Amino acid sequence: MNQHRPARAPDRDTRSSVTRGGALRTAALAAGGALATVTAIGAADRLSAAPSAAKDVRILNLLLLVERVEVAFYEAALERAELTGELQEFARSVLAHEREHLAFLENALGDKADPEPEYDPAAVTQDPDAFARAAAKLEDVAVGAYNGQAANVTPGAFLAAARIVSVEARHAAWIRSIRDRDPAPDAVDQPYDRARVMRELRELGLAS
Amino acid sequence: MSPDRLDLLDVDGALAEARDGLTRAGFIVAAGAAAAGVAAARPESAHAAIPASDRDVLNYALVLEYLQAAFYTEAERAKALTGRTANAARVVGAVERAHVKAFRDLLGRKAVGRPHFDFQGVTESNRAFLKTAVAFEDLAVAAYKGQARRVRSRAVLTSALGIHTVEARHAAWMRYLNGNTPAADAFDLPRTRNEINGIVASTKFITAQPSTTSGRKPRYTG
Repeated sequence: MNQHRPARAPDRDTRSSVTRGGALRTAALAAGGALATVTAIGAADRLSAAPSAAKDVRILNLLLLVERVEVAFYEAALERAELTGELQEFARSVLAHEREHLAFLENALGDKADPEPEYDPAAVTQDPDAFARAAAKLEDVAVGAYNGQAANVTPGAFLAAARIVSVEARHAAWIRSIRDRDPAPDAVDQPYDRARVMRELRELGLAS
Repeated sequence: MSPDRLDLLDVDGALAEARDGLTRAGFIVAAGAAAAGVAAARPESAHAAIPASDRDVLNYALVLEYLQAAFYTEAERAKALTGRTANAARVVGAVERAHVKAFRDLLGRKAVGRPHFDFQGVTESNRAFLKTAVAFEDLAVAAYKGQARRVRSRAVLTSALGIHTVEARHAAWMRYLNGNTPAADAFDLPRTRNEINGIVASTKFITAQPSTTSGRKPRYTG
């Protein structure tokens, strides 16, 4: 079930997309990033406000927005971006996952879910290239959003978020692989705060 | 995902028979001995700011990072990989070594020592390498997820989450190169330490003693 091959999977190794120099530079930067991030832990470990049910609602609504945007984006792309091959397979698989994430969050929030906002994915789903670029950015935003919020929610919500965030990271690496970009450019993925999540969604034209 | 990644780690078709008994003990002994050695030899360090239970989780993660770093480093040194696979091994290896260094720096004198490894030749062809890399990375994702709820420090947790998703990116990358779907399910499930230990032990990649492989004929050339 999980072994089906992407349409153009074979012989990828014959193509060298990331240059050796580029790869080593990336790795060196990644190593530096890991140290900067992780060794900072030893310093003050300030806790923001303790997790609470009320705080969960606010955080889960941000994640709900991300999942809604993703579902709308992939639905639009499959309708109008004329995707084929790997990109089409990617979009179909990821849409199915994002729908499950969305259903989970809607169920968790119940009547506390924010009203659905307007977003217009037309500009970023006009052709396969625009779609692939936007998808790569959107998946990185999803990873950053979950990583930025997960430590601030109650244990039950945390466990759910942890099961979703690594799937978003897999999506991010998948589309980056298709685009011949480094699938894992940093040694530690950065947490995004709410402001950054919203800013990046606006830059994609997917939030107002 | 399949209920047990052992099938993917079972690179020579015979490892499943070794799940129980001494191999499992071997992993725990290797990691435990290193931990005990550190505890006995080193005084309390300046890293007491991290709760003891978090240090335990970090040391557990460190063993998994040692395993991965050693695997990719050996693959790079063997020079048997080609094309995109060789590139991925280099890039991911540098990141896993960075994780090792970061955890060691963070734990200071409380860091467990590096176990001994014998990868039994799986670093010497693209096919065996990718199969093992997929298994390692999927295992790391499940391991971090399994431990995350035990972390008490918010800062440790945030960094662990950031590493957890990098492992997931690596898993997807290796799966892509191996022709597997990079994201098989909508939700990734955690694994307990016992599950992880059992799977790792079954590979016999961690040995209680320094590998004697180097005393035999070289496994690879170049």
